[in-house]
Amino acid sequence: MMRFQRFSTATAGYVLVWRALAFVVAMGIVALLLALSGRNVGELAALVARSTLGSRFGLEDLALFMAPLVLTGSAVTVTSRIGLWNIGGEGQFYLGAIGAAAVGLFVHGPAVVILPLMAVVAMVCGMAWIAVPTLARAFAGVNEIITTLLLNFVAELLTYWLTTGPWRDRVTGALVSTERLPVAVPEIWGVVHWGFPVAILVACGLSLLMSRTSWGYEVRVSGANPGAARYAGMPTRARIVAVMLLSGALAALAGMFEVAGTVHRLQGGMSDNFGYLGIVVAVLARRSCLAVIPAAFLMALILDAGIVLQTQQLAATAVLAITGLVLLLVAIADELAHYRPVVAEPVRRSAPGVSS
Amino acid sequence: MIVLLTGLLSTAVLAGGVLALAAQGEVLAERVGVVDLGVEGLMALGAATAVLVDMKTVNPWLGLLAAMAVGSAGGAVFALATVIMRASQILCGLAMTFLGLGLSATIGHSVAGMPVAATFAPVAIPVLRDIPVIGPAFFGQNLLVIPIYVLLPAVCQWMLFHTRHGLNLRAVGENPAAADAVGIPVTKFRFLYVVIGAALAGGAGAYLSLAVTPSWSEGMVSGRGWIAVALVIFAGWRPFNAAGAGLLFGLVSAIGYLGQAQNWPIAAPVLNMLPYLGTLAFIIVPVVLWKKMRRLMAAPAALGVPYDRSER
Repeated sequence: MMRFQRFSTATAGYVLVWRALAFVVAMGIVALLLALSGRNVGELAALVARSTLGSRFGLEDLALFMAPLVLTGSAVTVTSRIGLWNIGGEGQFYLGAIGAAAVGLFVHGPAVVILPLMAVVAMVCGMAWIAVPTLARAFAGVNEIITTLLLNFVAELLTYWLTTGPWRDRVTGALVSTERLPVAVPEIWGVVHWGFPVAILVACGLSLLMSRTSWGYEVRVSGANPGAARYAGMPTRARIVAVMLLSGALAALAGMFEVAGTVHRLQGGMSDNFGYLGIVVAVLARRSCLAVIPAAFLMALILDAGIVLQTQQLAATAVLAITGLVLLLVAIADELAHYRPVVAEPVRRSAPGVSS
Repeated sequence: MIVLLTGLLSTAVLAGGVLALAAQGEVLAERVGVVDLGVEGLMALGAATAVLVDMKTVNPWLGLLAAMAVGSAGGAVFALATVIMRASQILCGLAMTFLGLGLSATIGHSVAGMPVAATFAPVAIPVLRDIPVIGPAFFGQNLLVIPIYVLLPAVCQWMLFHTRHGLNLRAVGENPAAADAVGIPVTKFRFLYVVIGAALAGGAGAYLSLAVTPSWSEGMVSGRGWIAVALVIFAGWRPFNAAGAGLLFGLVSAIGYLGQAQNWPIAAPVLNMLPYLGTLAFIIVPVVLWKKMRRLMAAPAALGVPYDRSER
C-alpha cells in the first residue's frame, strides 16, 4: 500500500521537481493568456530568448537587474534566518538612494573618496529607516511585516518630495528627478558597473558569516528555536536588532548602486519594485545566502523578458502579475514537496487457522 | 469652525470607509486563523473591475457587485492555496498582492484616468441630515456609509460574540484541533470566511474607485490594503473597533487633505505621509505604553498556522 505522508522537512530533489512543475504551469498560463489575446506565442518566446540571453544588450540588462536583486534578496534572506520578514526593502532601497544622492550632490571630491562615502551614508540611512520597526519588534513584540511595509510608502513620498522640491533638477529640468550626479560607479563591461561583482561578493560573504561564524550560528538557532536559544544564553534580542539593521543596510546598498551606477540620478519611482522582488528572490533561494545568486538570475530573467514584452504592446504591469503567479505557484510547490510516498506496513492478520 | 469641523468629519467618513470595509473583511479572515496579506491586491482588482463594469452598465451597484465577485474569486484562489493545500499564508498573500496589482493595472489600462460613468452620489437622509456636524458627515453621504460603519460591524459583532456559529468560528481560529475534535468543519469555516473577507476587500476597492476618488488609476490603492491589515491589529480583531479604526484613519487622511486645501506651509507629499506614519504609531504606541494591551487585544492563537489533521 502506497500513500503520501507529510514530513516536516522537504528534500531538495522534491522541491526542485515541484518548482519546475510550478514554473511550467505558470508559463503555460501566461502562454495561454497571450494566445487568447491573439498573439503568436512561439514567435514571442523566440524573441524573448533572442533578446535576453541571446544578445549582448540583453545580457548587460540581465546583469544590471541582477545586482540590486541579489542585494535586496540577501536583505530578506538574512532576516528569514532569524525567523523574521523584512518587507520594507523597497523603502530602505529608496533611503539608500537618497543617502547616496545627498553625498553625490553636496559633497565634492575624487571618486575614490566619494563612492565609499556614498555606500556608507546609504547603509546608515537604510539602517535608520528600519530602526523603528526593529526596536518595536525586539522590545515590544510588534509584528515587523506591517511596520516595515508601511514605511515603504513614506520612503516613496519622501523621494517624490525631494525630487520635485528641494533637490529638483534645476539644470535640465527633468521631471521628478535630481540633477545628474558628478560621480559614477565605474563600468566594467558595457553598461555593467562594479555593483554587480560587489553584490555577488556580498552574497558570498553573508553565506560565510551565516554558516562559518558563531554569530551566524546564534542567529540561526534564535530563528529556529527562540526558546532554546534564550535557554542557551544567546542574546536573541541583540541578534534580532543586528540582523534587521544588516538587512536594512543591504537593501540600501542596492539603492546606492542603482543611483550611482545605473540611473545616475535620484528619481521618483526609480526602484522598479526591486525591494518587493527581493522577497521573491529570497523565497526562491529558500533561506540560503548563496542560492540568492541563481534566484536573482531567474528573477532578472523575468524582468528582462518583461522589457521585451513591453515592446510588443504589453503593459509593464503584466510582469508584476506574472511574478505574483510564479510566487503563488512556488509557495504551493514548496508545501507539496513536504509530501513523500511511504509504503504502509501491511496489516497483520492473526486469524486462527491461517498459517503462512 | 463648525463648517471646518463638518468638512473634516465628512471627508474622514468618506475616506475611512475604504479602510473600515477592508478591515472588516480581514477581521473575519483572521478570526478563523488565516492572515490574508493579499488585501492590497484584491482592493486594486476590485477597484479596476468596478470602474470597468460601471463604464459598461452605468450602474455603480453592479460595479460593486462585480468587484465583490472578483474579490471572492481571488479569495477562493488564496484559500485553495493556503487552506486546502496549506501553503505559506504570508507568501501566498504577497503573491496575491503582486497578482492583483499587476492584473488590475493591465485590465484597467483602457479606462485609466477617466471619470466613471456613475458614482455613489450623496443622498440626504431626511431629519437625521439636519443634526449639526454628525448629520452631514454620516447621513448626507453616499448610501454605503451607514452599512459600512453601522450595519456590517453590528452584524459581524453580533455573529462573532452572540451566536453559536460565531463561537465555532472563533474556536477555529483559536484552536483548530479542538474545534475539529468537537465536529466543527475547520476547513469549511476557513475557506468560507477567507472568501467573505476577500469579497469585502474587493468591495472596498469598488467603494474607493466609485465613491471616494471616482476614477481608476494605477497605484490608486497606494497601501490602503496594508493599512487595513494593520488596523485589524489596532482594533484587537473586533468588528466595531475595526470600523472605528477605519474612521480614525480617515480623520488622519482628512487632516492631510485639509492641510493641502488650506495651503499649510508643508509640502503635499509630506502631508500624504500622515496616514502611513499614523498607522505605524497606532500599532506601536499602544503596546509600548500599556503592556496589558498585549493580553487584552491578543491575536487569535492559531493565526497564520495551517491546520493539518494528521499532525494533530
